[in-house]
Amino acid sequence: MLSQRAAQQALRRLAVQRPAYRYIVPAAVTSSNALVSQRRLAATANLSEAQATDEILAKQRLSRPVSPHLSIYRPQITWYGSILNRITGSILSGGFYMFGALYLVAPYLGWHLETAVLAAAFAKWPLVVKFPLKAIVAWFFTYHSFNGVRHLMWDMASMISNKQVNQTGWAVVGLSTVAAVGLALL
Amino acid sequence: MALRLASRRLALKPMPYAFSRSMATTVGNTKEPLGAISEATSSSSPPLSPKHTTTIKEPSPDPESKIKTFHIYRWNPDEPSSKPKMQSYTLDLNKTGPMILDALIRIKNEVDPTLTFRRSCREGICGSCAMNIDGVNTLACLCRIPTDAGKETRIYPLPHTYVVKDLVPDLTQFYKQYKSIKPYLQRDTPPPDGREYRQSKSDRRKLDGLYECILCACCSTSCPSYWWNSEEYLGPAVLLQSYRWIADSRDEKTEQRKDALNNSMALYRCHTILNCSRTCPKGLNPALAIAEIKKSLAFQ
Amino acid sequence: MASALRPAILRHALGAPASTRALTTSALPAFRAHHLAQRSPLALQRATFQTSTKRAILPALPQVIRGTVNDPVTVRDADPTHGSYHWTFERILSAGLIPITLAPFAAGSLSPVLDGALIGMIIVHSYIGFESIITDYLPKWRVPITRRILEWGNVLAVFVVGWGYYEFETNDVGLTEGIKRIWRAGSSSSSSSSSSSLTS
Repeated sequence: MLSQRAAQQALRRLAVQRPAYRYIVPAAVTSSNALVSQRRLAATANLSEAQATDEILAKQRLSRPVSPHLSIYRPQITWYGSILNRITGSILSGGFYMFGALYLVAPYLGWHLETAVLAAAFAKWPLVVKFPLKAIVAWFFTYHSFNGVRHLMWDMASMISNKQVNQTGWAVVGLSTVAAVGLALL
Repeated sequence: MALRLASRRLALKPMPYAFSRSMATTVGNTKEPLGAISEATSSSSPPLSPKHTTTIKEPSPDPESKIKTFHIYRWNPDEPSSKPKMQSYTLDLNKTGPMILDALIRIKNEVDPTLTFRRSCREGICGSCAMNIDGVNTLACLCRIPTDAGKETRIYPLPHTYVVKDLVPDLTQFYKQYKSIKPYLQRDTPPPDGREYRQSKSDRRKLDGLYECILCACCSTSCPSYWWNSEEYLGPAVLLQSYRWIADSRDEKTEQRKDALNNSMALYRCHTILNCSRTCPKGLNPALAIAEIKKSLAFQ
Repeated sequence: MASALRPAILRHALGAPASTRALTTSALPAFRAHHLAQRSPLALQRATFQTSTKRAILPALPQVIRGTVNDPVTVRDADPTHGSYHWTFERILSAGLIPITLAPFAAGSLSPVLDGALIGMIIVHSYIGFESIITDYLPKWRVPITRRILEWGNVLAVFVVGWGYYEFETNDVGLTEGIKRIWRAGSSSSSSSSSSSLTS
């Protein structure tokens, strides 16, 4: 019974396998000259080791893609916190630099960047603009400062276990947000 | 022999579904005598048309099956101009081993034999199967398949590496960097008793958490700084190995080892991002090792 | 292809009774299409993976390995000025910024000398920060000219900004006092309170 079924199934597969059935004579019929169709036509060439490593491999390397990185790596407090530290620092420093440079050239451009003028101008802004702006600037400052302290601790080779890094990372996010809102309320 | 040839012949063309499904059978019934099969493929029986042979219905979905989709990064070097793509495979988790590597091996065995990946020990000691699974670098053999079948798993090669094929990254640069730190004991003075280099228990303890590193490159390829500067920055794994020899009380080239790192690129491109420690499948702390190197370089 | 050549698998497949075979099929290609159709359009979109990443700036070059695979990478000579000294100086500077940043919160504002010190430290801290960004993202071997321009620009910025703040400090109220005034401009307690601690 079983052997009968096996026979039926094998034949069915041969039948289903259309391309093989069409191009090559069914295996069952031509088991004697099976080796003919198995022959691989490959040319052989002598290849020195230097050629193999320098030329062929080097050529293969050139076409290799770079695997995806930024786009696929899971967002984690470690590297997101780190790049945030750099971004906040750059924005703060950029603003700081901008003001310093503009203050230098302001007299020649006819601009007024004196504190009193700026304060008077800023005072006229509506609160809905002023408060978020202050909160954001304050958050950049608080985040960069608190995270900087975290970095200094790591540089002393402390607080650097995975658990501590995770905890302090989120603590810095929370603390800097609270502090930023507090500063914005001043 | 006849059967072997017949099966090879069938395998010449890409397999239709009916064929690949039968390949997927995992419960074997080897009690069947071989003679029955050779009888089936004997030359006397003519091939039947499909309508005579479609006696088996298409399988209906098993209500208890846990079908999970795996999206796997594919790139074939034989088609160098083609772009890498994601290919999806579905497996029933009830019939798959618990680890991602089990799933990969099953896919390779039963669904798509062209899928390429490295694996060897399947127990987390060789570091061959390092890859990016669901966005985190880890060893496929140590990473459980998330049991939530609804969520799809994405598997990529290690990030920002040159891909040899599919999930196989080229780690040549990584190994060249490893070689540059001279990862062996350097010592000129013979041991005092002429037999072996002895070490106190506390000195030996300093190597714990360092010697276990298997150089799977998970940490190095998780480091954004290493992504951008792998030409000159050594990366967490190699720096941890470097510290393993700096911290070794028996090594006598500690100063030379430190000097080799004391430039703007090799060590100091580390900005304590800490992806390395977070991702290490062996639970080591490369970030701590790097911090220790920096500390020892700072006050000398 | 390799596993397709294994006759043992074929033997298993042929030998297994029909019912078991239906249960143990794993690839389930029959409902793979069904499964694909069920997925959200977003997932389908993401399935078509692209290599053209969004990092348009300096995409990685084709892979070139210098020397044979058995050569170590070249080790640079020790250069503590850009290595350990640089690092230590940066840490000391950063640590020094903590008290001088906290001081105006406690004292209202700083004396001109401390104010100047704060500005100087911020400028050097910024210089090191920008320098490290340039070193990270613009490799010298890759974009030597851009890198040199930016490095000199970074140095130049220190002097320009330093001069600007020198003018500011000599002609105006000073950094901390200035920030305080602008920060509190228009709010009710604008000029009366002297304490500007966090809790006030």
